[in-house]
Amino acid sequence: MLEVNGIDVFYGDAQALWDVSLSVEEGAIVALVGSNGAGKTTLLKTISGLIHARRGEILLSGKSLSNLKPQEIVGRGIIHVPEGRRLFSSLTVLENLKLGAYIPRARPFFTESLERVFSLFPALKTRIDYKAGSLSGGEQQMLAIARGIMAQPKLLMLDEPSLGLSPILVKTIFELISALNEQKTTILLVEQNINQALKIAQQAYVLKTGKIVMTGRGDELLANEEIRKAYIGERVSKR
Amino acid sequence: MAKYPFNILKSLIPTKITQNQINIYIIIAVIIGFATVPFFIDVDTSYFAYYLFLTFLFIVIAQGWNIVAGYAGQISLCQNSFFGLGAYTTGLIWLYDVTKTGYYFDPVVMLLSGLVPVILAIIVGIPLLSRLRGDYFALGTLGVQFTVTVLMLKGGAFTRGADGLHLPSVAFESMLPYYWVGLLLALFAVAVVYFINRSNIGLALKAIREDETSAASRGVHVLQYKVFAFAVGASLTGIAGSLYGIYLFHINPDSVMNLNWLFYPILMCVLGGNGTIMGPIIGAFALAALLSYGDVYLLETHPILSGLIIILVMKFMPTGIIGLKDKILSRR
Amino acid sequence: MGEFGIIIQVLISGILFGTMYGVAAIGLSLIFGTMRIIFFAQGTMIIFFAYICYWLFTLIGIDPYLSLILLIPISLLLGMGFYYGLFKEAAALEQKEVSLLIAIGLMWAVENIMTRVWTADPRAIVTAYTSWILRPFGINIPFTRLIALLIAVLSAIGVSLFLKRTRIGTAVRAASEDMESTTLMGINPHWVNAVTFAIGIGLAGIAGVGLATVYSFDPMYGFTFVIMSVIALALGGMGNVFGALLGGIILGLIYNLTAYFIDSTWANAICFVVFLLVLMFRPQGLFGGAAQKV
Repeated sequence: MLEVNGIDVFYGDAQALWDVSLSVEEGAIVALVGSNGAGKTTLLKTISGLIHARRGEILLSGKSLSNLKPQEIVGRGIIHVPEGRRLFSSLTVLENLKLGAYIPRARPFFTESLERVFSLFPALKTRIDYKAGSLSGGEQQMLAIARGIMAQPKLLMLDEPSLGLSPILVKTIFELISALNEQKTTILLVEQNINQALKIAQQAYVLKTGKIVMTGRGDELLANEEIRKAYIGERVSKR
Repeated sequence: MAKYPFNILKSLIPTKITQNQINIYIIIAVIIGFATVPFFIDVDTSYFAYYLFLTFLFIVIAQGWNIVAGYAGQISLCQNSFFGLGAYTTGLIWLYDVTKTGYYFDPVVMLLSGLVPVILAIIVGIPLLSRLRGDYFALGTLGVQFTVTVLMLKGGAFTRGADGLHLPSVAFESMLPYYWVGLLLALFAVAVVYFINRSNIGLALKAIREDETSAASRGVHVLQYKVFAFAVGASLTGIAGSLYGIYLFHINPDSVMNLNWLFYPILMCVLGGNGTIMGPIIGAFALAALLSYGDVYLLETHPILSGLIIILVMKFMPTGIIGLKDKILSRR
Repeated sequence: MGEFGIIIQVLISGILFGTMYGVAAIGLSLIFGTMRIIFFAQGTMIIFFAYICYWLFTLIGIDPYLSLILLIPISLLLGMGFYYGLFKEAAALEQKEVSLLIAIGLMWAVENIMTRVWTADPRAIVTAYTSWILRPFGINIPFTRLIALLIAVLSAIGVSLFLKRTRIGTAVRAASEDMESTTLMGINPHWVNAVTFAIGIGLAGIAGVGLATVYSFDPMYGFTFVIMSVIALALGGMGNVFGALLGGIILGLIYNLTAYFIDSTWANAICFVVFLLVLMFRPQGLFGGAAQKV
């Protein structure tokens, strides 16, 4: 469904991504993993249109996204839930969700989307009129994902949803992501928590200093020696 | 400077001369050119000489703003206060005969005139720069500017209020010293920017301008550098103010602290290209031309035209003339 | 009327005039929220609309308050036009100096055009009711100032409702907090900026009518006016409609009291000092919300 072909991305004169290609099939969870500064967020921002690639192209269902503005890309169904949540903290939970469904495509389905969100994230229902800034870390992350769902995404891109959360919450978030996928939402997941990400992903890409160095099925990469040594390390052997 | 003529020249010259050396020769030639202008035209009556003098003055204040905004990335809206303080300092030193050297282009006087604004810059710079970011800092400097203007107005017998200081005009009958001192100061200002640009200070400033938080996390003492840039900009502007005060002989809030002196440096830098060495120079030549010849040819409509020109230039050339040149060059 | 009565009088007139700055401050706050610039031409635009109001009255005989019906839509459209015509490209840039200079350029151009076309002589509107004075409890309250206060409060309520109850208004609030995220919701940032700008100029139109009925004005007054409005904004705090209005009222009080007890130049000075103090020690203003994201 989504195809990224050989993109080069620069920040001013500094190159951040080199000849990056990946593809996301409809209905899949694709994980993009790598350590801090590898370029994962840059890649997401390029797909969502916040940054322009200097070379290469990005196709959604065969149609190029090259010259589109970010808001137009959202209109095509690519929803980017940014790193650090970036909620509107002075607005209420409901207002955040309403803004999520702002685009004409999503507006008619507002009530449906809201019900879906409440069934996935019951905690949000009780906090519906609270200012988003007053929610706990975990609730904020749920709200950020919920806000993305409100837009009726064809492709949901999540940037480090587990960042800064306690282990229990991390587990919950990943369960939610799996649940979303079971409901037929295509997900591109960017994560530093490689262990968890590879567990739920069908396909994965490893990004290192701006280049894709490895790709394969989630379980394959999880079992891969190099990956385990480089990214997962001691924790696994301790079990 | 376009590279084409150099390539042609290079092929003509038999020995190996580098790009840098050619640049230096050109700069020296230009400086000598300006320095010898008075030998070809009568500086006292020529309007062109007045235009050049204005340009030199403008170069100094433009570079002053360039350091604060172009290199350190802070928008300062109190440049006119520094300019005015420089003028007032010179006027007061002369009137009260502090240095006992009489009415000459005394470098000491000019130095002191550059120092007083620095003191102000440090006093307000530290609290403002440490607490306020970006647009809020700009607002703060705006407040400083108002306060200083009012203080000058209300300075009683010391600053002589709205009427200001009157200096005896017998001291200078000729434009000549003004012209050369102006040229010297302009060169000095450009040299300051040049050396900052090449130094570690320049690197730090540019890092701060790009991304303050990451610069801080890499150990850059952000506040120190910001205050430094603010102070250097202030001193340059103050010295320019001193020269202007000597030129005018009548120093009052309306002539040396009016808001034009706030906007002109910004305009020149954006016109020519912020954060570059040549940009403010180009902007200075352009603005001085607009003002001095605009006064002559377009007297009544000139302020309207200035406003419209600013809008048009900002709309179509926001990166300034240097930016435009870069764009054209990179298309080749 | 004793000394006390005079002070009450000073206070009341301070409040009444301060609301003018307050309305301008609301406009400034909105524009700053989304575009992150101080729209320096706001004061001059207010004067511009004051002139339009004046000419509508003098040449055609339209009552100033009635002219609001015309002026509000005109000013809204003009605001939108200004954004798309002048600020759109600059708004997308990192450098805020460019937008700042465009605003200043606009101010210069407009105030000088007005001086050329309408001369620098001060104008004032004189109608049947401009000299009415209400006298509750022995205090003089000019009728037009009271109406100006009423209009100001109604405008504040209007804008507040717009921001809280409409979809676009919510988008504006979101954009003021985080423009990039707002874009990720599929909202066109230029559209949000344009709407905000339109409202800002619309408020200038309303303030213009208020000013025209209360004071005499001349083309160059705009800058002084916008500076006071900026101080009002700093006092009240960004991001809060009623805060901006209150900021204006408080400023009016401070100014009038200082002018009464000392003199008007010191009044200016005190206002500026207050401005600096607020910026340094409470940059979010007296009523502002969370500190603005840089």
